[in-house]
Amino acid sequence: MNKDEIENLITLSSDLRWKIGDDFHDSLAEGIYADASEISNASVSKDNEKKKFRLDAKIDRIVTSKTWGFPIMFLVLALILWITIIGANYPSAMLADVLLDIVHPFLKGLAAGIGMPWWLDGFLIDGVYLAVAWVIAVMLPPMAIFFPLFTLLEDFGYLPRVAFNMDYLFKKSGAHGKQALTMSMGFGCNAAGVVATRIIDSPRERLIAIITNNFSLCNGRWPTQILIATIFIGAVVPSSLSTVASMSAVIGIAILGIFFMFLTSWALTKTVLKGEVSTFNLELPPYRPPRVLKTIYTSLIDRTLIVLWRAIVFAAPAGAVIWLISNIYIGNESIAAWTIDSLDSFGFLLGLNGVILLAYIVAIPANEIVIPTILMLTVLVTGVTGGEGAGVMFELDSVNATGDLLRSGGWTLLTAVNLMLFSLLHNPCSTTIYTIYKETNSLKWTTVATLLPVIMGFVVTFLVAQIWRLF
Amino acid sequence: MNYNPTYALLIFFGLVLISYLLFRPKSGWFWVIKNNLKSNEKIVIEDVLKQLYHTENAGKDMNLHQLSNSLKFDERTIVDVIKKMTIIELLTFDGENLKLTDSGRDYALRIVRVHRLWEKYLAEKTGFDKMEWHDRAEDMEHKLSHEETDLLATHLGNPQYDPHGDPIPTKLGKVADLEGEFLSSLKVGSVGRIVHIEDEPDVIYKQILAEKIHIGSQIRVIENNKERVVFYAEGQEFVLAPIVAANITITLLEKEESLEENMARLSSLKDNEEASIIGISKESRGDSRRRLLDLGFVRGAKISIDLESPFGNPIAYLIKGTSIALRHDQASKILIKKGIENGK
Amino acid sequence: MENKVNSACETCPQFNAKGLKKLGVHTDNIDYVVALAGNPNTGKSTVFNALTGLRQHTGNWPGKTVVRAEGAFEYNDSKFKLVDLPGTYSLLSTSQDEEVARDFILFGKPNVTVIVVDASRLERNLNLVLQILEITDKAVLCLNLMDEAKRNNIKIDERTLSRDLGIPVVPTSARFNEGIPDLIQTISEVASGKIICKPHRIKNVPKKIEDAVEKLSTEIKKQFPTIPNSRWIAFRLLEGDNRIIKALKTGEFA
Repeated sequence: MNKDEIENLITLSSDLRWKIGDDFHDSLAEGIYADASEISNASVSKDNEKKKFRLDAKIDRIVTSKTWGFPIMFLVLALILWITIIGANYPSAMLADVLLDIVHPFLKGLAAGIGMPWWLDGFLIDGVYLAVAWVIAVMLPPMAIFFPLFTLLEDFGYLPRVAFNMDYLFKKSGAHGKQALTMSMGFGCNAAGVVATRIIDSPRERLIAIITNNFSLCNGRWPTQILIATIFIGAVVPSSLSTVASMSAVIGIAILGIFFMFLTSWALTKTVLKGEVSTFNLELPPYRPPRVLKTIYTSLIDRTLIVLWRAIVFAAPAGAVIWLISNIYIGNESIAAWTIDSLDSFGFLLGLNGVILLAYIVAIPANEIVIPTILMLTVLVTGVTGGEGAGVMFELDSVNATGDLLRSGGWTLLTAVNLMLFSLLHNPCSTTIYTIYKETNSLKWTTVATLLPVIMGFVVTFLVAQIWRLF
Repeated sequence: MNYNPTYALLIFFGLVLISYLLFRPKSGWFWVIKNNLKSNEKIVIEDVLKQLYHTENAGKDMNLHQLSNSLKFDERTIVDVIKKMTIIELLTFDGENLKLTDSGRDYALRIVRVHRLWEKYLAEKTGFDKMEWHDRAEDMEHKLSHEETDLLATHLGNPQYDPHGDPIPTKLGKVADLEGEFLSSLKVGSVGRIVHIEDEPDVIYKQILAEKIHIGSQIRVIENNKERVVFYAEGQEFVLAPIVAANITITLLEKEESLEENMARLSSLKDNEEASIIGISKESRGDSRRRLLDLGFVRGAKISIDLESPFGNPIAYLIKGTSIALRHDQASKILIKKGIENGK
Repeated sequence: MENKVNSACETCPQFNAKGLKKLGVHTDNIDYVVALAGNPNTGKSTVFNALTGLRQHTGNWPGKTVVRAEGAFEYNDSKFKLVDLPGTYSLLSTSQDEEVARDFILFGKPNVTVIVVDASRLERNLNLVLQILEITDKAVLCLNLMDEAKRNNIKIDERTLSRDLGIPVVPTSARFNEGIPDLIQTISEVASGKIICKPHRIKNVPKKIEDAVEKLSTEIKKQFPTIPNSRWIAFRLLEGDNRIIKALKTGEFA
């Protein structure tokens, strides 16, 4: 082989191509299909005599109809979320009982028994173990319920119809109908939602779906929203209405998230993403009866456990950091107290406080540990009695006690509202950030996806705080 | 903590305003300053060459005054540059008028080549909107080196025409022919094909785009007078002002080609109608077009509506045994022939 | 030809064709490499799972497998590594999935390429099949989802199809493990050279393109006398495929 010969070859192909003209690709594609048509005509025979019964067509007419299409869709999604949130409560409580109230003291006792130094015991058991245990207890049950349900719908073939129904709305903000699904998946877990964007085969729309997935309130954030809404929003209305009010507030936040998703999608298409290639096509596959057991098994293996594993890997060091910052002292203040002091004024400007900001910094690995961290840090800086000790995350059994603790930390209704907003609009958890990087293979888009929501969070909470204080 | 929230808000909105003024698209101060820094001599020379090339191709003359009016640089810069260009023999004076020398013409052709290749690149390989192609290519034509240009050409499969229908000069300066007449000058009843849509000036180009007139469409002129030009294409009637029609070039059909009277856009297909595909319009480009071909939207394929979504857009079409949903704007770029026998 | 079931056992999940051992992810000491290609949503991953005993998730949704998955099985003392390629409609465009699939078939030089097609949408699937047959001449057509085809009253004459394509055709319903033993047998026969394929080459190409391809392909053969797919490389060169140009320059085809 000779370099010049190869160059000649390429020049020859360039010349030949110019002579053929611009419809080369079309002619080739048509030619292949013409062959395909000849071959299939020779060997395929379709029995048209029998009137084929298209059950598929009947289902399709209903699930994409003007009257029934949307109600069915919302009902299905609401049902899945409801089953997930309600159904996860019991196993979550059980896991928390076992991991936090039985295994944790047991490990502490064991450590004391073998004479482990206090710092190693604190670092490993109060820091690393507790963070991991918390993530498992809060994260595993909802995901183990949500993903199999979602996967069953997927295997049946319903999801492409949802994309078909929703495309018109998503198109208005420059997105793809399939984003409706990755968004719904994000309600379960943003990392899984980001992985699910693989079904979108148009580069621009896929990036939009990845960057905006964080606006779906994930499983790790629902409990925070519900807890804060119950304590603070439920308290400002008559007690007969408190449940309704706090639930509406949480749903309002989720809907606000969808609004921000559309807004950001639209802004991205008009600015940074306008040069990315955009195509659209959506195949509506035939319905297939799902094989339930197999689906549950594979969705557990493929989605739940992978995501859980990643979360644990990230949560372990976070637990260590949380314990360390509360127990390492500079002068006579712990690092945590010192950081909280310096973040306090910025936090105040946003209608939040230093504790919340520090909690969101150290709890990047998992939204699940935000509340326990906030409680621990509040005890640490206010010096009120309660809690388990410096660097030991905890949660209180009663909602009222939690509310009292937070109020003693200086929380007002504004703090609560802004915490709910900030919980919606902040950087994705590190599992999601890592997943975004793996999926996009781009530092640029990972940075955009990470910083955009947190900047929006700062702006929104800042504006709310100022306007609140004006009146 | 004590502070006045009003001031905080004022400072915030002040910052937002400043960054808007700095970075708003196109006329933001940041961009303006950046652009001014960029207008160096090379760019002026190349823009002069290109301007003269187009004028000469149109068979017109141009003097110094006309030239400086047609370019966005100030007159002093242009005079300086012209002086230099005559010294390095890119152009000569023919009395009042400026003329390109052979080497000037070669240089100009190269710039045109880069410009049109880049427009082709933007059309085929990126998602930028049509309205942006021209300005981006204006920018890029001064940046690409010879080697980069040739690589780009190879990668694009050595195209003959740019997305507006203008021929792209080859490396050796060969230019494919573009024959045709302006739509505004055609007689009633003429039958032809749209081969070129001029993208300058912006105002007129925008109107053509808004009418959804597609390059490559077969047309028949129905009416042509001082007020308006009406023509039929792909199952629809289009009405244009003569000044707009003058920016569209038509090649008359050869005798053996006949106008496909039944041709229509897929977007006009109704429920329960069957059709066969004639082809994909030239307006569908790049990955989008390739995907459609991959999915079997090729000549001769039978097609009918399978499902309509609740909003009526997208629509799922049954093609080669599969249901595939397309958006309305895609369907409008697929050409069909209606009314084939069902075969049942 | 009817889709016959050889024995009752064949359809039960625990079936074991004589001499078959599913090896899961253990892909060392491999004798043959088998690529698994096909359109999205044709049950490719189900076939993969049926052959290797692995349980990759298979959604009813085009485009699940983006990265390629690997597994292995052993048959008559030969070890086969199976590589599940991303499902694509074509290999002519430039999406990431198509590149992964194309590069593996072209540069990974699998001993056999199994092309999984949806029996009830044969014509559409043949688009990809014909392109793959331009690249490789050791291929098996796996006519999957025969159960759905039957339900839609579609009959396929496998012998004619096999003759026209020049490669063996095996009907299967991978969801129910039907036809898998046949498929394994055929794969091993193609791998060992017992079956010689004479793959179909694309015919309906306009004259001016065919002439150019002929000219270019002759030149390519002069440089690389041993490659089986000079015609396909010519197609790609005319398309201006950077990857192929690069491969020519670095001599990856040699």
